[in-house]
Amino acid sequence: MPLDAAKTETLVSVRGLSMHFPIYAGIFRRQVGVIKAVDDVSFDIGRGETLGVVGESGCGKSTTGRAVIRLYKPTAGSIFIDGKDISKTEGDALRRLRPSMQMIFQDPQACLNPRMTVGSIIAEPLDEHRRDMSRAERQEKVRALLDQVGMNPDFANRYPHEFSGGQRQRIGIARALALDPKFIVCDEPIAALDVSIQAQVVNLLEDLQDRLGLTYLFISHDLSMVRHIADRVAVMYLGKLVELASRDALYESPRHPYTKALLSAVPTVEKRSVERIILQGDVPSPANPPSGCVFRTRCPMAEARCAAEVPAFRKLADGRGVACHFAA
Amino acid sequence: MTGLKHLLAASTALAFCAGPALAERGADGELKIIYWQAPSTMNPFLSGGTKEVEAASMVIEPLARYSNTGEIIPALAAEIPTLENGGISEDLKSITWKLKTDVLWSDGTPFTAADAIFTWQYCTNPEGGCAQGAYFDGVANMEALDPHTLKITFTEAKPFPYTALVGSESPIIQAAQFAECTGSRAPECTEQNFNPIGTGPFRVVEFRANDVITLEANPNYRDPAKPAFATVTFKGGGDAESAARSVLQTGEFDYAWNLQISPEVLNEMEAAGQGKVVVAFATSVERILVNFTNPDPALGPDERSVWKEDGSNAHPILSDIRVRKALSRAIDPVILTEIGYGKTGRPTCNVLPGPDIYVSTANEACKTQDLEEAKALLDEAGWVPGPDGVRVKDGKRLSFLYQTSTNAVRQEFQAIIKEWWSEIGVETELRNISASVFFGGDPNSPDTFQKFYADIEMYTNNFSGVDPEAYMAQWTCEKAPRPATQWQGENINRFCSAEYDALAAEFSRTAGLEARAEIAKKMNDILMQEYVIIPLIHRGGTSAHANSLGGVLINDWDSELWNIADWHRVK
Amino acid sequence: MLRYAARRLLISIPTLLAISFIVFALLDLAPSDPTANLPLTIPPEVREKIRLSLGLGEPFIIRYFKWLEQFLINEPLAVLEQMTGLTIGDSENRLRVLSWATRSPVTDLIVERLPQTLWVVGMSYVVAVVIAVPLGVISAYRQYSLFDQIGTFISMLGFSIPTFFTGLLLIVIFSVWLGWLPSIYDTTHVVEDWDSFWFQVKQMAMPTMVLALANASQISRFMRASMLDNLTQDYVRTARAKGVRERTVVLLHVLRNSLIPVVTVIALGVPTIFGGAIVTEQIFRVNGIGALLITGIESNDIPLVQTLTFIFAILIVVFNLIADLLYGVLDPRIRYD
Repeated sequence: MPLDAAKTETLVSVRGLSMHFPIYAGIFRRQVGVIKAVDDVSFDIGRGETLGVVGESGCGKSTTGRAVIRLYKPTAGSIFIDGKDISKTEGDALRRLRPSMQMIFQDPQACLNPRMTVGSIIAEPLDEHRRDMSRAERQEKVRALLDQVGMNPDFANRYPHEFSGGQRQRIGIARALALDPKFIVCDEPIAALDVSIQAQVVNLLEDLQDRLGLTYLFISHDLSMVRHIADRVAVMYLGKLVELASRDALYESPRHPYTKALLSAVPTVEKRSVERIILQGDVPSPANPPSGCVFRTRCPMAEARCAAEVPAFRKLADGRGVACHFAA
Repeated sequence: MTGLKHLLAASTALAFCAGPALAERGADGELKIIYWQAPSTMNPFLSGGTKEVEAASMVIEPLARYSNTGEIIPALAAEIPTLENGGISEDLKSITWKLKTDVLWSDGTPFTAADAIFTWQYCTNPEGGCAQGAYFDGVANMEALDPHTLKITFTEAKPFPYTALVGSESPIIQAAQFAECTGSRAPECTEQNFNPIGTGPFRVVEFRANDVITLEANPNYRDPAKPAFATVTFKGGGDAESAARSVLQTGEFDYAWNLQISPEVLNEMEAAGQGKVVVAFATSVERILVNFTNPDPALGPDERSVWKEDGSNAHPILSDIRVRKALSRAIDPVILTEIGYGKTGRPTCNVLPGPDIYVSTANEACKTQDLEEAKALLDEAGWVPGPDGVRVKDGKRLSFLYQTSTNAVRQEFQAIIKEWWSEIGVETELRNISASVFFGGDPNSPDTFQKFYADIEMYTNNFSGVDPEAYMAQWTCEKAPRPATQWQGENINRFCSAEYDALAAEFSRTAGLEARAEIAKKMNDILMQEYVIIPLIHRGGTSAHANSLGGVLINDWDSELWNIADWHRVK
Repeated sequence: MLRYAARRLLISIPTLLAISFIVFALLDLAPSDPTANLPLTIPPEVREKIRLSLGLGEPFIIRYFKWLEQFLINEPLAVLEQMTGLTIGDSENRLRVLSWATRSPVTDLIVERLPQTLWVVGMSYVVAVVIAVPLGVISAYRQYSLFDQIGTFISMLGFSIPTFFTGLLLIVIFSVWLGWLPSIYDTTHVVEDWDSFWFQVKQMAMPTMVLALANASQISRFMRASMLDNLTQDYVRTARAKGVRERTVVLLHVLRNSLIPVVTVIALGVPTIFGGAIVTEQIFRVNGIGALLITGIESNDIPLVQTLTFIFAILIVVFNLIADLLYGVLDPRIRYD
C-alpha cells in the first residue's frame, strides 16, 4: 500500500490535484494560456509520517505544498485532511481550518513581518483563533513555544531583523506550532540557511515530530536531507508526479529515468553504483509542456510512444508508483 | 448751516454727473471691484503704478480732476482758476486755488491749504523718492493766503498751470498724518502708507498688500448722500481674463479694470448678458519706433545705440527716410486693429491722438496700406531684390531686428508685420522680451526698451492728464537715453531735429489752448512725416461693469474710479 | 534617536548658513534695481538716495550679515512680540527686513498670507492623502481590475494635466455654467457661523480639488507600487497561512509596511504646502505665499524673495530630517544610534 500511508492511518489524501495559473497578455490582458504548475497529482500521507517531495526548481513542488494547505485555490482535484475535503472550502470556513495545518517557509527573513515583534508574530494566530485564551495565557504560550524551538523566551519583544537566519527559522517554526497543528508543510525550510545550521533545524523538526506526533510534507531540492528526514519520497517533474516510493526503495533502486538522473547527481560517501547521468537540454516551459510524457524531451530512453501517449502513474510490484512506459 | 452747504455741494455734484443721488449714504451695500494687478501700497507718491494711483483715488483727492470728456473739474477746489476769473496771474507765473471750505478729512479734522502745501513739500523732498515729482516741476513756492486759499508760484511762466495737485496722480495727503514720514522716513511709515486718511468718498478699513483692500464709506464725506455703497472690496491678483469673467460671466464682481484680452473672448463673455464692456480713449498709442542710431552688436557700450551730436553714429539703413516710409506704407493698421483689439482700439495715424483739439488730420494716408508704393520707395533708395527675395544694397541685406515685450497680441502683430515686410523684400528677425525686463529700466540690462539694442521696437506709450507738452517734448535731442544719463531719457528713437527742438521750446512758452494745439499738431506731423514713429492703434482703456452697477463713466484721462461717489446699484 | 535628531540639527546649521549665503548672493548679484520700476521722471540722484535708504550703499558682505541678523534675530523677535504683546528690548528701532515694493516688513506680509495658503494648499494635501491612500491600496489589491484601470487613468490625468487647465475647467463648469462656486477666493472672509463656514467650504472647493488631484495622483501611485511590493512578500503568505482575516492581512500587515515609504514621501512634500501653489493661487486669487513669491519676483522685490526662499530652504531641511526620523519610528529595522 505505498500510495497510501506507510505506517498508520491516512491523514492527508490528495487526489488528482491540478494547479493551473492563467497567462495574460496584450493591451486588454486577455488570457492566452495556462501554466500547469501542478497537473493531476495524487498521494497520501499517513499520520506522523514525513513525505519528502523533491524535484528541480520550477517543478511544482512548492505549489503542491501551498495548494495542499489551501494557500491557493486548486484548479482541480480534492484534498482530504482527516477525511474532510477542504479543496472547495472558502473564506471563514477555510480560516477556521487553519489551526490544523501550517507551513514553514523557505526564506525566514521574508516570511516574518519586519514591523512586528517576534512575540506578536507568534501570538497573532492565537489572537485570531484562540479567543478563549486570556492575554496572559497567550503570552505564556508564546514563551513556551520559543522555549520549545530552543530560543530564549525573552526574545519575544525583539524584531525579526535582530536574529540570525537559523534563529528566524526557529521563530518561523514556533509560529507554525502555535495552533498545535497536525500537519505541517515544510517548504524548503533549510534552503536559505548555512550548512551548519541546516542540521540543527532538521533535527529540531524531527524532534518536534517525535514529541508532538506531527505529519510533514517536506519539500526540498536537497536529496540527502530528504533521505535523512523522509519516510517516503515523491519526485516531481514539470508539474507531474513521476515516482513515489519508500525512501529506501527510491534511493536504492530508482525506476524512473528522471529519478535515476537526479540521484546519480548526489555525491555519496559510498562508491558510486551508477554512472552519473547528465540530462540534455533544459526543462521545457510549463506553459507549453511536451506532448505525451513530459520528460521525453530529455529522457535518454525516449521512444516514439513517449510522444504519443501519456504514461500512466502505475503501481509496480514492490508497491511503488512510477509514471513511465518502460519501468518494471 | 453746514447742512445747507452740504446741500449746495450735492447739487453742484449733481449738475456735473447727472447721477441719481436719491439714495442715502451706504444704502446700496457692498461694491466689489477687481483689479487683476493688485495694489502694493495706498500711497501713490511711493509707487508710480496705475493700480496704486487708482486704488488711492477712492480715498485721497486732488484739487481738480479730469472728467470722462477730458474736461478739468473741481474736486477739493471750489472752482477752476482761469485767466478770466483771475485765478491765473497775467504773467502766467502763479495760480491761486480757492478751496472748498466745508471739507473734512475722514478723521473729522478740517482740510486746509496747509495740507496741500505739506503734500508739495512731502513729494519734493529729495530723500523721499516721490514717484510723482514731475507734477511739481517748476513750482517755486506754495503759500496759504488764508486757510482755504492756496497760491502756487512758478519759477517761470507756466502756460498750462494745472499740474501740481491736479489729477489722481497728484492728490493731497493729510499733513497731520504724514508729518513724521517725510524724506528718508517715507518708506518706513507702513501704517500711513497703507491707511492714508483722505477726503474721498471711502476710507480704508484693511489693506492687504498685493491682495485685497477693504474700504467703507467715509462718514465725513462732504456730500451726505454719497457714496451709495457702504463698503468696497477691492480685490487684486490673477489675470485679466478671469477678472473679466468674474464680472461678465459669473457676476461675482461689479467692476473689472484693464481687460487687455483678445476681442473675441471679450465679446463672447459680454454675450453672457451679466455686464457691459466699456472703453475710453485717451492717449495710449501702440507704436513702432525706428532706431536712428546704430545698434550693431559689434559696437562697444559707448557706441551701440548711442546718439552722437555730430551724427556720426547714425543707423546705416534706417537713416534713409525712404526706407522708413516704405516700412510704414507696408503696414495696414486697420487689419491690425481688427485682429488685436476689436472695439477696444482704433487705427490711428498720429502719435498724439487726443484730446480732440490736438489731433492732426494731415496723416490719414497711413491707414491705407500700399505695398507697391513701399516697393517703389525701396527701389528708389537703391535696395534691389536679392536671390532670396530680400533686398540688398552695397553687399548689405535689408534686414532688421524687431523687438517688443512678451504679450500674445504683440507677438501676433510681429508675425503679421514680418509677413508684410517680407512682401516688400525686407527681412525681419523677431525678438520678444519679458515685460518686466523690457520696461524694467535696469541700466545694466541690455534688453530694456531704453537701451534699444535693436533696429525697431514696438510698445504702447501715453501721457497722463490732458496737456501734451511734456509728452511732445520727449523727442527733443537732449532726451536721448545714453550712458551719460544712466540710459534714462524719453527720446527712445534718438531722433534729433533742430526744427522740432525749436517747436518744443515755443510750446513751453505759449499760453492759450488754440495756439498750443497748433504747435502740438505741428510737432506731431513732423514725427509722422519723418516716419520717426509708425503709429498703429489708438488704444482704449477697457473695463467691464455689471449691469446692476450704475453711474460708471469710464475715464481714461484720470482714475477710472474718479466718480465712484456717484456709483450706485441699479434697482 | 533624540541624540541622532540633535546631531542632525547641528549638522544642518552650517548647511543652512551656506544656503542663506548662496540665496542672498545669487539674488543680490542678479541684475535688478529696486528703483527700476519707479517712473522715469525720478532723477538719478533721487534714485541713488532711495538705494541708500534701502541699505544698498554698503558692501555686499555687510549687507549679508545685516540681513542675517534681521532674519534670524529681529524678525523672530518681532513675530514673538506681535503674538504675545510683550515688548522685548528696543523694539522701536529694531531694523526689520523690509519689502521694497510695499515698504512693509516681509514677515508681516508672510504672516498675512499664510492662513489662506495653509487652508487651501494644506487642505488639498490632506484631501490628497485621504483620497490617495485608499485608492492606492484598492488599486494594488485588485491589480488590473476595472477599479485599478480607472484609478490609473485618473491619476495619469492628474499627473499630466497642468493645474492651470483643470482650474480653468472647474471655473467654467462650476462658476460660469452652474454658478455653484465662487471663482475668486475671498481672503478677508471670516468663519463665524454655519453659513460662513459653508461659504468657506465653497470657496475652498475648487482650488483644493485642483491641487488635490495633482497631489493624489502622485501619492496614490506611490501607495499602489508600495502595496504591490509588499503584497507578494512571504510574510503576507505567512499571515494568510496563520489564518488571519483578509482585512487584517491587508490593513495590518501589508498597509503598515507599505506606508513606510509613502509617509516619507508625504513628509517630504509638506514644505511645498508652505511654498504655496503659484499657479493655482493665481487662478483662484487665493493670494497666498505662492502669489506673494511671484509678485516679489516680478517686481524685483529682492528682500522678499530672499526671505521666502530661505524660509523654504529651512523647511526643506527640517522636513527631510522629520522624514528620516519618521522612517526610524515606522521601520524597526532602522536605528539611529
